[in-house]
Amino acid sequence: MSASETSAPVTRVVSAPNERVLRHQLVDRLYHWLMAASVLTLMGTAFLPILGWKFEWVSVHWMTGVGLTLLVLIHIVRALIWQDWRAMMPDGADVRAGARSIRAALGGSGPAPGKPGKYKILQKLYHLAVAILVLAIIVSGLLMLLKIDTPFWKRNPYWFDADTWGVVYSVHGFASMAMVTLVMIHIYFALRPDEWWLTRSMFRGTVSREEYAEHCDPSRWRAEDRA
Amino acid sequence: MELFRYAASIYGDSRVVIGASWDLLPWFVAAGLAFIIVHAVVKAIAGRHGHAS
Repeated sequence: MSASETSAPVTRVVSAPNERVLRHQLVDRLYHWLMAASVLTLMGTAFLPILGWKFEWVSVHWMTGVGLTLLVLIHIVRALIWQDWRAMMPDGADVRAGARSIRAALGGSGPAPGKPGKYKILQKLYHLAVAILVLAIIVSGLLMLLKIDTPFWKRNPYWFDADTWGVVYSVHGFASMAMVTLVMIHIYFALRPDEWWLTRSMFRGTVSREEYAEHCDPSRWRAEDRA
Repeated sequence: MELFRYAASIYGDSRVVIGASWDLLPWFVAAGLAFIIVHAVVKAIAGRHGHAS
């Protein structure tokens, strides 16, 4: 079964002038870069003191964390209401294409893997992993705010017993360290020349018609002309 | 190397977990580097085979 025969959700995209295909709207690019700045700030304020660079990191860390929480909440609401969230979920066509790609890479025969829609299966799995980790970091981080004084509340370290605090801090720590791995992989793919068309689209918002035709299945991610 | 950081309980009679061990951070960095190196090598080999055929 080809990708076009599946019931995979089809996301309509609008062509920008001069025959470019809109991939990321301005609001989505702003979200991406603000999230990137937040995550890098959070990593710097979390891990640099551990590595020996001592500075007053707590205030910057928790305020950036609250900012990231608001960004993620906006993203979730936007994805659920105004975007097609199913376009980011792995589906049967993705799994078949992935299996065919592995078979082809191992020298096996069989049908060629179909092109993806807007996102490849590995991009979808990466997004899923980041979503799980970021949500774990946000929930545990918000609970950890109970242990510091802020302009909005006084600390209350007795909210949980010591063992529960240990779980909360462990979740925050493990998920944060795993994010280091995922951010490294993300930057690596963004810098790979064969992925520059995607990296450029996160700056410009669009991909060329040629890039769209080369990398995407129009039946799964449909470009719609303005004219 | 331990997976967790520990501290004495407030009663002083046991150890309690206070978080993940930061000794693991280099391992997470190493995992990222390992993925990047393996992927780059596999893509380079696949690309060379693609050009040869």
